[in-house]
Amino acid sequence: MSRLAIVLARLALFLALIGAWEVLPRLGILNARLLPPLSDVLSMLLQLVGRANVQEAMMVTAAEVVVAFVIAVPLGALIGVAVAESEYFGEIFKPMLFYVFSVPKSIFLPVFILVLGIGFHQKVAYAVFSTLFIVIMSATAAVESVKPEHVLVARSYGATRRQILFRVYVPSMVPILLETLRIAMIFNFTAVMIAEMYASRTGIGHLIANWGENFQMRQLFAGVILLSMVAIFFNETIRWMETKCSSWRT
Amino acid sequence: MQQLADVTPGRVGAAGASVEVAGVSHVYEGRDGRVPALEDITLTVGAGRFTVIVGPSGCGKTSLLMMMAGLRRQTSGTILCAGRPILDPDPQRVGVVFQEASLFPWQTAMENVEFPLALRHVPAAERHRRSASMLNLVGLDGFGGRYPHELSGGMKQRVSIARGLVQDPPVLLMDEPFAALDEQTRMTMGHELLRIWSQTSKTVVFITHSLTEAVYLADEVLVMSARPGRIIDRIEVDLPRPRTYEMMATDRFGRLRERIWQQIRKPD
Amino acid sequence: MRRPAPATVRWLILAGLLLAWELVPRTKVVPELFLPALSKTLAVLYEGRAEYGQNLLVTLYEVGFAMLIACGVGILVGALVGGIAVLRNLLLPVFSSLYAVPIVILYPIFTAWFGIGSESKIAFAGIYGFFPVMLSTAAGIRTIDPQLLLAARSMGATIWQQIARVIIPASIPTVLAGLRLGGALTIIGVVVSEMLTSAAGIGYLVSRYRTILDSPRVFAAVLLILVLSVLFDLLARWVERRTVVWQTAGRQGRTIAARTPSPATATPAVA
Repeated sequence: MSRLAIVLARLALFLALIGAWEVLPRLGILNARLLPPLSDVLSMLLQLVGRANVQEAMMVTAAEVVVAFVIAVPLGALIGVAVAESEYFGEIFKPMLFYVFSVPKSIFLPVFILVLGIGFHQKVAYAVFSTLFIVIMSATAAVESVKPEHVLVARSYGATRRQILFRVYVPSMVPILLETLRIAMIFNFTAVMIAEMYASRTGIGHLIANWGENFQMRQLFAGVILLSMVAIFFNETIRWMETKCSSWRT
Repeated sequence: MQQLADVTPGRVGAAGASVEVAGVSHVYEGRDGRVPALEDITLTVGAGRFTVIVGPSGCGKTSLLMMMAGLRRQTSGTILCAGRPILDPDPQRVGVVFQEASLFPWQTAMENVEFPLALRHVPAAERHRRSASMLNLVGLDGFGGRYPHELSGGMKQRVSIARGLVQDPPVLLMDEPFAALDEQTRMTMGHELLRIWSQTSKTVVFITHSLTEAVYLADEVLVMSARPGRIIDRIEVDLPRPRTYEMMATDRFGRLRERIWQQIRKPD
Repeated sequence: MRRPAPATVRWLILAGLLLAWELVPRTKVVPELFLPALSKTLAVLYEGRAEYGQNLLVTLYEVGFAMLIACGVGILVGALVGGIAVLRNLLLPVFSSLYAVPIVILYPIFTAWFGIGSESKIAFAGIYGFFPVMLSTAAGIRTIDPQLLLAARSMGATIWQQIARVIIPASIPTVLAGLRLGGALTIIGVVVSEMLTSAAGIGYLVSRYRTILDSPRVFAAVLLILVLSVLFDLLARWVERRTVVWQTAGRQGRTIAARTPSPATATPAVA
């Protein structure tokens, strides 16, 4: 199948879904109270974006996401590189990290609330906690992806430590590091959403949970669409950068 | 298995049958239009003969072998095996040994050898008996319970040969079976293959890149040209059998090897 | 000076953590609200065993149902997407884009649709676990060595024999790894959704005791979930080891480790 055919088929699938979402509730085949027609949802989305309380909530959520991201990624990368570079500490901590990694983080959310309350700090702390381990693991993998024989070749041609860092380590690690940013953001965003939905006074997650409880389906679907678009946009942007940076990879 | 083993002492199973390739050409649709891969290949491999095909990379020798195995269909021409055309894989007539041993990693050596029999719902007792005798033939007595990752490269190819022979086909096709092995193992395996061949008298078509291997093993070496693949030379190897390692140092061996080399390097 | 073996250090660290959990709260440096002592947590768990047991059953029931859905549908869709090139090219990129969406935001929709009983948890956790199962099944089928299929064909295997005797056994290791991840995610999905809105289950207990600031009972429930998820992980790994003995045993025992992609690419958002 050619590229064009695939794109067209995907477009057709997308339009069919959109059409079904609009038409089925309108015809009464699906309960419009449970699934409002898409056009209603979209006009609600436009209204919501103009509302002051929604804008404020969006700002709060964005701030939590950004601050948590800015803390978790460098911290995790630092720990990850340290673990990967020291054979001894790597052997001690790597299996433990794997275990902690597979433990569900969300069950500790109540503990964060008990200690930090339900404000901004608690959201950020929980999001950092949720994101940290995947960053550590990916950073370790990034360091280990550097081929020793490449380092050896560079050294045999007399490369300095600096040159080895920038000409061997960095280019080898870039694809994985970008991948780490992408995955870290997914974890981070998910964590902030759960924390806001669970116990909060503001933020988009809080609004969504409220709309659901009050059965305001149009607002709920509008919020879900908005968040999904933001998440997919960020994800696709980094993926696009990944393909740019790793064209030499097979 | 037939009772031939009792009739002819020292011989196991059914003897070889001839392979006749007549006017086979192959054209495939490439990015820049139609690419001729094989051009008018005609050859006959006599029953019980050991024929080696050599040629530069990409000359289509593997394609030709796949066609003999019924795994790929040629654009034109016919391939007969034991007098009947080969259109689909027919494990009763043709056994295949691949470059990578292609053993199923989730099965033991024994189970791998039994695989073709299991496909045809041969009863378990019969399967065990036949695969055990094949493992014995290839010198792997006592290794039947091992998984492929517990076997060395040479042993894996032995299992693969046993699997190719277990249905007792008259023809065995081998696609660079020893290419992934180190030089010493490769020599040993070549020697072993000749022993197995002399005990079974199968017809063997063998592809290789190694000229030494070709001369050492073959009754006849067929040299193919670069794409489109054509047969450009047939060399009868009249070295006596059984072959020995010492023969490799002889002038006669060197001259045969040299002649093949001249054919392959010839720019055309 | 000789350094102690890494495994010893690991056990020492674990013992130290448990000891700290017991001793630090006793010193009153950390208030009990933040961290009740281990002994107290265990005592509370034992006292309330009837309540915890009852709610654990609810959680297990939901987890079981959700796993059935996640694994069944996940393997089916994964096999179709992995095996059929047209579907793969059409859908796989779409799935990996959708992957970025935090699935938890769909939960309010499910409670609105199915109520706050078990149904909404099963639906949510089922979707949560579906993705890794589906993706790894598709990957398992796509990455089968084509030489193995060629060899099977040369031995006269029919298309059904190829599926039953080559494709299925060859994809089992990847599918099992996916089931382990998917299973872990369904447990998390059930617990998270119970924490958010529900009237029963371990997650519900966590939330109820948190609102009345009964810290020991919160920690007891958290401990229970922790044990549950670790037990599931151990069980799943044991099944994997038993099933793919042909890959883990012997000299090349590290082949699985070597083939496992980096955690970042293989692991979905563990909430």
